[in-house]
Amino acid sequence: MRILGLATLLALTLGCRPPASEAPVERVAEALRGSGGAGFARAIAPREFTFPADHGPHEDFEVEWWYFTGHLATAEGERFGYQLTFFRRALVPPDAPPETPARSSAWATRQVYLGHFALADIDGGRFYFSERLGRGAVGLAEARAEPFRVAVAEWSAETSGPAAEPTGLLPLRLQAKDGDVALDLTLALDKPLVLHGDRGLSRKGGGTGAASYYYSFPRLTTTGEVSRGASRFGVTGQSWLDREWSSGSLAADQVGWDWFSIQLDDRRELMLFELRSRDGRPETTTRAGTLVAADGSVRAFEPPAGALEVLDHWTSPRTGARYPARWSWRLPELGLDLEVVPLLAEQELDLGFRYWEGAVAVAGTSHGAPIRGRGYVELTGYGGKAHPGR
Amino acid sequence: MSPTLRRASWRFLLRHPTQSLLALVGIALGVAGAVAIALANGSATRAFAATTDAVAGRATHQITAGPAGLPDELPARLVRQLGPGRVAPIVEGRVTTRLPTGGRRALQLLGIDPFSEAPFRPQFSSGGDEGSALPGLNRLVTAGDTAVLAAATAAELGVGVGERLEIEFAGRTRSLEIVALLDSPDPGGRQALADLLVLDLAGAQETLDRVGRLDRIDLRLDGSEGDIAALLPPDARVESAAARSRTLDEMTRAFRFNLTALSYLAVFCGAFLIYNATTFAVVQRRRLLGMLRALGVTRREILALVLGEAAVLGLVGSALGLALGTWLAQGLVVLVTRTINDLYFNLTVRGAGLDAPSLALGLALGLGATLLAALPPALEASAVAPGVALARSSLETKARRGVTRAAGLGALLGAVGAVLLLLPSRNLPLAFAGFFATVLGAALLVPGATVLLLRWFGPVLPLLGTRGRLAARGVVTSLSRTGVALAALTVAVAVTVGVGVMIASFRQAVVHWLEGALVAEIYVSPPGGRPGEATVVPAALTALAADPAVAEVSLLRHGFVTSEHGPLRLLASDLAASSRDSWRLVAGDREPLWSALEAGAVAIAAPFAYRSGLGVGDVLRLPTRTGPRDFPIVGIFEDYSADRGAVLISREVYRRLWGDDGVSAVGIDLVADADAEVVVGRLRAATAPFQALDVRSTGTLKRGSLQVFDRTFAVTAVLRAIAGLVAFVGVVSALGALALDRARELGVLRALGLTPGELGGLVTVQSGLLGLIAGLFSLPLGMLLAAIMVHVINRRSFGWSLELVLPFEVLAQALLLAFGAALLAGLQPAWKMAHTSPALALREE
Repeated sequence: MRILGLATLLALTLGCRPPASEAPVERVAEALRGSGGAGFARAIAPREFTFPADHGPHEDFEVEWWYFTGHLATAEGERFGYQLTFFRRALVPPDAPPETPARSSAWATRQVYLGHFALADIDGGRFYFSERLGRGAVGLAEARAEPFRVAVAEWSAETSGPAAEPTGLLPLRLQAKDGDVALDLTLALDKPLVLHGDRGLSRKGGGTGAASYYYSFPRLTTTGEVSRGASRFGVTGQSWLDREWSSGSLAADQVGWDWFSIQLDDRRELMLFELRSRDGRPETTTRAGTLVAADGSVRAFEPPAGALEVLDHWTSPRTGARYPARWSWRLPELGLDLEVVPLLAEQELDLGFRYWEGAVAVAGTSHGAPIRGRGYVELTGYGGKAHPGR
Repeated sequence: MSPTLRRASWRFLLRHPTQSLLALVGIALGVAGAVAIALANGSATRAFAATTDAVAGRATHQITAGPAGLPDELPARLVRQLGPGRVAPIVEGRVTTRLPTGGRRALQLLGIDPFSEAPFRPQFSSGGDEGSALPGLNRLVTAGDTAVLAAATAAELGVGVGERLEIEFAGRTRSLEIVALLDSPDPGGRQALADLLVLDLAGAQETLDRVGRLDRIDLRLDGSEGDIAALLPPDARVESAAARSRTLDEMTRAFRFNLTALSYLAVFCGAFLIYNATTFAVVQRRRLLGMLRALGVTRREILALVLGEAAVLGLVGSALGLALGTWLAQGLVVLVTRTINDLYFNLTVRGAGLDAPSLALGLALGLGATLLAALPPALEASAVAPGVALARSSLETKARRGVTRAAGLGALLGAVGAVLLLLPSRNLPLAFAGFFATVLGAALLVPGATVLLLRWFGPVLPLLGTRGRLAARGVVTSLSRTGVALAALTVAVAVTVGVGVMIASFRQAVVHWLEGALVAEIYVSPPGGRPGEATVVPAALTALAADPAVAEVSLLRHGFVTSEHGPLRLLASDLAASSRDSWRLVAGDREPLWSALEAGAVAIAAPFAYRSGLGVGDVLRLPTRTGPRDFPIVGIFEDYSADRGAVLISREVYRRLWGDDGVSAVGIDLVADADAEVVVGRLRAATAPFQALDVRSTGTLKRGSLQVFDRTFAVTAVLRAIAGLVAFVGVVSALGALALDRARELGVLRALGLTPGELGGLVTVQSGLLGLIAGLFSLPLGMLLAAIMVHVINRRSFGWSLELVLPFEVLAQALLLAFGAALLAGLQPAWKMAHTSPALALREE
């Protein structure tokens, strides 16, 4: 669950003046709330998912993403974490008045795409991140369902061979490069697709339409190559793909979130998030989770208030932003007691807006027995610069 | 200098205010002309640079398209190859809009992809006020009829955010909603934004009828990319941004240089005035200077005294000139800009800004010319022997010896000038050096020529009676005074003759050329835009051809390609039989020309032939859509439409090789009994539903073309007028000084019994005689200068070859100017002399 302030990101990426103080930034964030979803299709009720069509874009919705994260390692044991995300944003609602004369230029579009790419060199202690921006036209950026492809500038994720699973997406090839940091990975099915929340409707708050459509491939066998500087590494590992689309799903008083995707060594997966409200009280905090059993069966649940405890903080030397840096999840209902520790403190993406998205190690107990795992954590609303708005 | 000396100087200047004043005016006018041109040129250059910066942004290179533009898919290919922040596609065009005041304003429409712009032109992707950016951007990108505009321009146009702006392009009206305003904190940034209408690329393609094609792609390259040419269509070209703006700058350099050189002519004439005034001041004070020397004042101090006086005049005159020039520049900048727009490319300049280098240049010119001109008389003054007041007669004897020396020097300078001009070079400054050497040489020859002239015509002079003889002798006997006056007058008048003849020759050539080039009876083209930018829409073409009075049509397309010889204009022509013979060939055969063109040959314009060194039998390599191709050159034709390269090519060949079907202009031959003006109205009505086209009869078009021509030379005419004014002031000053100088001699004549009337007549006749002599001398010199300007300077500047014509009115004007100015100048001294009592006059000095 990663509802990012795509609008904010876009505006700042486009080169707004650097903010002189915090106040104008807040104004930008406010202004960039835009329609708040008005005029767009909303995620109101569970829907029938149809694949492979639903792997493609849903342009009636305001924001959408294809979000890949994963842990990789070389044969020698060198560890890497990666994130490759393609965001789509509709600039205007689909019911905005048709322009006159009708658009004839191939450049005409209502869709803008944004890519974020990060590579964590865990043993080398280095973190690389970059972004791409492009309109959804003339090959600068695009998303399509069949054959699947999503791309912005020279970064892409596309179906790389005959479909090896029923939804027609996999295997996938991921390619991204920024300077001398690059990744070229092939993702194959390990565990099947999972619908979050109520049959894929993931609630973010109490109001009507305060939800998104959300599904994941929680475990994808990954092989390929990672480059960093002059070095190239053959790697294998496991990835997680999140697919989510929505319009104005967050309330104005929701200031940020902490989101966790965890792959346990016993082949179970866990998705958890907590949406923080401005007042910070437990009763105005939205929590949700999904547990995927080893056999692929899915259980949606609501973590109790106080299940998430922050054990430590980290202050970014780069931006001065202070993020939570170690957590404990107590989920008695599931018999799980987990401690989540960043593999690298510095995994902050200081791009159009700031957030922390990083590879983490997980250790704890399941019904008293020790268990370990890996995961990715996303923290928003801590960056100071350009509150991600929605 | 001691205070006493300074007071002596001051009192002298005060006692002869007219002389000082006229010298001031002369130098002020000269400096004003030079400063005004420098400021106007400077403003045009700066505006050009600012616009180039704004439009080119931080691009290091750009891909320029062939006539069919660049394909939509190219940017994505380049992005994949080059990575982020390197590629920004552009569609641009010139549109017009109506001002609230009723006039029209041209706007530069710039179509951008805002998502590619941040590294190139961040100002085009940000909002004026934080928070207003994205709403504007969303609308800009998603609606085709939206634009952003500089806040200042929006205010001038009277539109605000949310309001609609009507623009016209190629005879079609579009309405754009202004969704945001741009502003810049610094004046340079504001200048760069002025008159820019920024649209999303998609909207720009739709507004300019250019769907599917891009005009250029800006690049940021650091040299590590390898050969990107492989990714491009063969007729596209990668150029460094610096080379591009250099090319554009070079296009106008000859033009600007010419203006600068012409403006120096006025300073040159002004220097004569200073020389004159200083000489006068020295001659008048021979006694005083001698006494001062006897009292122990050193030569050096005398030199400083005289030069100091001149410097004061020069400084005050230059200061006045700076003020006047600044004022004049406001008008000149409009003329200069208009000429650049007519001849080269579109440029918007709002008023002339002040820049220190131009002002410093004016001051240096004024002061330098003054000191240089004052040096000879100052040296002479410092040579006065102590206590000796050199007798006037001995001074004149010396002056006459000087005449020979000056003539020798003049002949030498003339020879140097001739050599410089005849050198087989294309160097423009060298040509101007030759020009100025010739002018100076001629000026030095004037006194000697006067002596000769009067000697030859001596026998005729008694016919004028005693007064005539006296007048003629007076001219020669006071040659130290009259020589300079004559030289100044001759040069100044000759300059006006030369420039006048040059313009007349040019105009004549253009008239002839238009006669030949415009053979169809009606011409149709889309209004505005750069040449070749706007096209006649197919529906309008059909409507034109359907008119019963239309016998045959000629189609012309202006296609722009960038060759190894720089930017070239292809005149892709599909001409009616009647028009095929109209090309005036300078070289090559007319007969097989057309069939040769249809077989893929080309003819090139004379200025381009001159510049490139290409001739009949050579080949011209042009980038086509299928790669570079060599075209045999079968002819060279006259073309005064531009000084850049123009290439005549068959439209069929052009369409095949560049894939461009557009039509930039249509020539229409009418059936035998049709009334052109009636048909014009009918065609206008018939095409109106599709496009508001300019439909003009040949007569109207010729008049329009000549108006453009006259506009082009308006600046030159202004400079000519300034030179004429300085000449006039020069004559008044020189003759005034002469009369004062001869006060004693005239007093003697009065004492001998001449009536005041007779004396006045004598002075007037002598003035008139001087004017006449100067006028006569100025004619051949003026023609010589015109010949230099036409055959050397013009050719080197623009590559145009012209025939010299002798316009009667220019010659008559010159004589009238010289004679009239001289007579007028004689009036005041004549009156004064006649009304001075002989006793007083004799007591002079």
